Amino acid sequence: MALKELSSLEKALGLKKPNKYSTQGDKKVPVLQRSNGPALSGLVTIATYLVREANRAELLGESAEHRAIVQQWLEYRVTKVDGCQKEDIKTILKDLNTYLEDKVYLAGNQFTLADTLMYYGIHHIIVDLAVQEKEKYVNVTRWFDHVQHYPGIRNHLPPVVVLKNRVYTGSHH
Amino acid sequence: MKLFVSEGNPHCLKVLAVLKLTGVKCDVQHVNHEEKVVPHLSRPTLPALLLPSGMHLFSANSICRYLGEVSGQPSSDLNNQWLEWEASELQPAVAQALHLAVLQGKGSEASSALQGQLSYLEQSLCKKTTPFLTAEIVSVADVVLWAALYPILSDHGLVLGDQGKVQNWFERVGMLAACESAAQEVLQGKGLKSEALKAYMQKQPAPPHSQAQKRDN
Repeated sequence: MALKELSSLEKALGLKKPNKYSTQGDKKVPVLQRSNGPALSGLVTIATYLVREANRAELLGESAEHRAIVQQWLEYRVTKVDGCQKEDIKTILKDLNTYLEDKVYLAGNQFTLADTLMYYGIHHIIVDLAVQEKEKYVNVTRWFDHVQHYPGIRNHLPPVVVLKNRVYTGSHH
Repeated sequence: MKLFVSEGNPHCLKVLAVLKLTGVKCDVQHVNHEEKVVPHLSRPTLPALLLPSGMHLFSANSICRYLGEVSGQPSSDLNNQWLEWEASELQPAVAQALHLAVLQGKGSEASSALQGQLSYLEQSLCKKTTPFLTAEIVSVADVVLWAALYPILSDHGLVLGDQGKVQNWFERVGMLAACESAAQEVLQGKGLKSEALKAYMQKQPAPPHSQAQKRDN
């Protein structure tokens, strides 16, 4: 899973040469072998490195404060969303829904790496939501829809219909 | 900026030690474990940092990384890697070990819960030529890992096997004045025997997949 994500991220960042990855441990933590330095392990660590390699540092946040918020949501993705139990899903959706009430993206008004990785990590949860749940967590689904339509992000994942009225407007092609 | 912490919480040990180490100016407010500081989270989560913009940081590692950056130490790839390892690999094991040792009095099972992570740390330290995890000088990652392991490694009653490098590194970090004084403030300088730690643990949900939980079911 993490390897597919990293390859999608490479495409989204416009990195031309795909990197080679391996995994370590029971949890299959991704490892990147580099020619110009020691190997790096961990999804967030590697993703952060790729963004800098692609000269897209703005995706990591533009101030110390903004960068901290981006890193916090990246950590949330790998510690809370990954491997979450069924009973945790509701809390995650509820908390995200409250948080996103007054925000376009996870770190505010700008799209960042946190949106990309959260989108990849939460996709399987959103796919399974019933229509009523999508309405209940409307801020999450609105955010999700923004991200899946963000240029170049979706890659390996199928689109999810999140809001009924969107199907008929024909605005997304 | 305002930092909210509670007594007995090892995550608060992380942020107070880094705050003292970096000397960043910030108000510190002690609250109880149940205080809901971050409005958008359903569970009370501490520590929390109220940023100048009005937003909150609610992850101890992100707070530490932020304090490091504003004091002029931007996080390196290696620092990032250790912080991610701490949050995703070490924390689940520490939570289980603390649950066993503090709430169930099963010290020996607690050390076996941590064995894999401690061996990984031991191997990584064996490959290093520097006294600290990322460099010749202490980094945010050293303090975060030290604080996570503090309750367990500072307890000499626990037998942890052959982890000489980990012990030396742990003592090296713990000798820093910032760490020593934060350990006094949060855990009265005591490890597993701290009453404050016990009070904190009693408010935490049981870790998933813990032996204890399986047996109770």
